[in-house]
Amino acid sequence: MSQLNVNAIRSANGTGDAISLAAASNTCTANITNNLSNRNLVINGAMTISQRSVSTAWAANGYLTCDRWNHTINNSAGRFTSKQTADGPDGFRRCLELDVTTADTSIAANEHALIQYKWEGQDVQQLAKGTAGAKKFTLSFYVKGNGNATYMCEFYDRTNDRLTRQQFSVTSSWTRVTLTFNNETSNGTINDDNSHELDMSIWLHAGSDFTSGTYTANTWAAKTNANRAVGISSLFSSTDNYFKITGVQVEVGDYATDFEHRSYGDELAKSQRYYYKNPSNMYLTKYGSGSICNVFNPVTMRANPTITQGSGFSISQISPYSFYIYKSSGDSGVAENGYEVSAEL
Amino acid sequence: MTYKKLTDPFTEKESTNTILRKTDNAVIPFDDANTDYIEYKAWLDAGNTPEDA
Repeated sequence: MSQLNVNAIRSANGTGDAISLAAASNTCTANITNNLSNRNLVINGAMTISQRSVSTAWAANGYLTCDRWNHTINNSAGRFTSKQTADGPDGFRRCLELDVTTADTSIAANEHALIQYKWEGQDVQQLAKGTAGAKKFTLSFYVKGNGNATYMCEFYDRTNDRLTRQQFSVTSSWTRVTLTFNNETSNGTINDDNSHELDMSIWLHAGSDFTSGTYTANTWAAKTNANRAVGISSLFSSTDNYFKITGVQVEVGDYATDFEHRSYGDELAKSQRYYYKNPSNMYLTKYGSGSICNVFNPVTMRANPTITQGSGFSISQISPYSFYIYKSSGDSGVAENGYEVSAEL
Repeated sequence: MTYKKLTDPFTEKESTNTILRKTDNAVIPFDDANTDYIEYKAWLDAGNTPEDA
């Protein structure tokens, strides 16, 4: 038997160790770029889940197609249709596409359009933001447009009203964007709760209220709206434009690992913490002069959810685990319409 | 956006923990972590009042 006695391993042309070995603990630290599990902080980064719809023309801000991805258009005449599209780089079969249907080339100061991913505070504590041990984190994603464009990615610590941002480029080919963000050791920690405490926004269109300031890359600072989208292109400059994104990953550390693919079932269950839809009929049981159905959510939801159901029903006893649907008159065994349950951030 | 008070089907009294959003017939629980409830409270703060049950 032979053994290799070294303190580190690095590429012959490298500038840093790929593997560092610790004598005291007989362990190593390795910069492995694949096959690590549970490191992606983003749910539905591969855009495989779209419970609401696979194509929705923007009519109001909110979640339209791919689960967990929120859409905003404020004060602009520009419009897009949000789609879950069958396109992607190698290994990806779906992407989120924003396809411009109405252009807006007369940009008022207060306009903006963006897509956004929102985190519960308890799900980002590993970033250790605002502590001595604050960790860098790395965002990676694949992106494609109909031509060259520059957009802005922004992280917003809502607990402490602090932001950081970096521009990125889009071309007409699928390109992987990798952005490592510095963290900060002061200015407050992120609340450890189930509320919306951190978000990531991709700015795609903005007026001078958001573009007239100074772009300082990768530096946390108090919120100054004028700095938030400096130098970006406008997705709404032409109806020829589209923006496609998939393979979104946010992970602790200063390099991007391979995208962590998860099964459809895993992503669906994670998404259903925030929203699910049951389009099926259900059967109510006779209860007093009416009828009733006790519904158990498929997973424990983030908070007491909002229930949307057809008229003529009452909803009661709402919790993250279950609720009752009640009809004041009717027989047992009657098939009724489905329902939507939302505890979105 | 308009809201309407609800009658609890079990107690048959006015619900103390839900409100109906009329635009989409959504029942919103009184939970400070629910974003629809946060929106409802802002609507109240703006001087609006919900319809009676």
